[in-house]
Amino acid sequence: MISSNQLRFSYSAQKKFSFPDIHCNDKETLLILGQSGKGKTTLLHLLALLLTPESGDVFIAGKSVKNLTPQEITATRARNIGIIYQRPHFVSSLSVLDNILLSNYLANKQEDRHKARHLAEQLGFADHLSKKTNQLSQGEQQRVSIARSLMNNPNIILADEPTSNLDDENCQRVIQLLKRQSAQIGASLVVVTHDQRLKDEFSNQVFL
Amino acid sequence: MNLFKISIANLREKKLNSFLSALLLTLGIGMISLLLLLNKQLDEQFKRNLKGIDMVVGAKGSPLQVILSSIYQIDAPTGNIPLAEVNALRKNPFVKSVIPLSMGDNYQGFRILGTTPKYVEHFQGKLAEGHLYNASMEVTIGSKVARTSKLKIGDQFSGSHGLDSEGEKHEDKKYKVVGIFQPSGTVIDQLILTRLSSVWDIHEHAEESETPAVAEVEHSEGQTHADPEPDEEGKDVTSALIQFRNPMGLLTIPRQINDNTSMQAALPSIEINRLFSLLGVGIETLRTLALIIISIAGVSVFISLYNSLKDRKYEMALMLSMGATRTRLFLMLLIEGLSLAVIGFFAGIIASRIGLWVFSKSAEQDFHYSLGKFALLPEEFYLFFGALAIGVVAAALPSLGIYRLNISRTLAEE
Repeated sequence: MISSNQLRFSYSAQKKFSFPDIHCNDKETLLILGQSGKGKTTLLHLLALLLTPESGDVFIAGKSVKNLTPQEITATRARNIGIIYQRPHFVSSLSVLDNILLSNYLANKQEDRHKARHLAEQLGFADHLSKKTNQLSQGEQQRVSIARSLMNNPNIILADEPTSNLDDENCQRVIQLLKRQSAQIGASLVVVTHDQRLKDEFSNQVFL
Repeated sequence: MNLFKISIANLREKKLNSFLSALLLTLGIGMISLLLLLNKQLDEQFKRNLKGIDMVVGAKGSPLQVILSSIYQIDAPTGNIPLAEVNALRKNPFVKSVIPLSMGDNYQGFRILGTTPKYVEHFQGKLAEGHLYNASMEVTIGSKVARTSKLKIGDQFSGSHGLDSEGEKHEDKKYKVVGIFQPSGTVIDQLILTRLSSVWDIHEHAEESETPAVAEVEHSEGQTHADPEPDEEGKDVTSALIQFRNPMGLLTIPRQINDNTSMQAALPSIEINRLFSLLGVGIETLRTLALIIISIAGVSVFISLYNSLKDRKYEMALMLSMGATRTRLFLMLLIEGLSLAVIGFFAGIIASRIGLWVFSKSAEQDFHYSLGKFALLPEEFYLFFGALAIGVVAAALPSLGIYRLNISRTLAEE
């Protein structure tokens, strides 16, 4: 579960954002729609605890993160939040499998190879596990980053423009996978996008 | 999954950059290590053969040449000196022992050295088999001579005139092997030792007509059996090794010899120091060059990590967002630098051994000295830590950027 309360953030005096409150329960989905420049990524980074808001608060699984130390914030993010970025990025020197296992390692959890293989089969890239990530197509890469975000059984999955670089077919596939996987682990799924194709896929929507 | 694995994967990802950095370190470390090895072994070889010899007398000429030819058997002798003058030194109260040497022939490049049994005693030569020469034309050979020439006890051979194997052969008179020394690590290993009289016989033989020469050989044999340190009128030797009873000898005798006799006195300690200071200039230059190469290696590690960090900024931000601490990533980058340093160090140590082996081969061929000690030197442990320090510094400087990385901005930029 994730919610926010009167989040404000400013990059400079001219570039200020104040965001509508959002709320997304476990097993629910939320689509945040907005045009470029409306602060979509800023909001996502605030929700992902990558940025500290000027004012307002974020609640992860019901708990405020306001008074946490940077170390606690890092640990909270690693354990509770799976993030999927617009352009899938990986540690280029590692194989697909190792990139997925990296989530476990960096969150100080036991490496779950079995789970990684299982996810790879479900998401349809089980044949590519030993390849380098740059040998995969964009759609495959996005599916790998979904698998990566699911490795620690997060409470919340945040996706930043997960489909904007994909064709219609891959777009559908990725969004269905996201919905199905987050439902499976009972996580909140928050998608931030300007992609109008997703409008009909989500019942809860917020416009920036 | 661990930091080490990620670091190695990163190094493998940038194979050429990593290779260049490791190669430069290898070169630098290899050069320094080779210099250390050579320095130590030359030093040992020189010191071991020098032990207990306070002065060498020889014909006038370069004192360094006298030392090199008489102690180390690597240069040509300066000429001959009368044996009578050498033996006169025995009467000096400061002189403890006088070992006359007579050379001029070789067998397959190994010098045939006429001397007294005192020489063997001085270098603590022990027999592996057979016995010490005790008649003219009998020889006892060093271990390396035996190994290389395949001479066995009872074999006969004829020496060649001069100090290299191309000299004219003394076919008419053959030496006979009667003993073989154990390996001692001293100059004896590479010598063929015989009586002084053998050398005289050979050369008189060549100069005079047959019959009187044979008579003389017999005559000298008969005489020398009784007297182990021959003192014959009109005979020459090449040089003599002198030991003093006490350091006072050092102050007076060399001057007396240089002023009052046809001989010159050379002091090994002074000449060898002179030689080493001459070599030292070259060694110093090589060492400086090696240090420059190592520094360049450090710069190369720095640049390659700096560049790869620029390329991997997003990766770093990504790992930070996935729960990595900055210290952990900093360590990961340090390990990359350290791995290069360790690889460079061990490759350098191996390279220096190969270099030493090649050098030893050629030294063996030219001077019959072998420098085959490949064990790690204590200095090389310091070298190891030096290499690690370079790896750490070169990796740490660019990697400090990790602590300034803005996660959100880096992730949003792409």
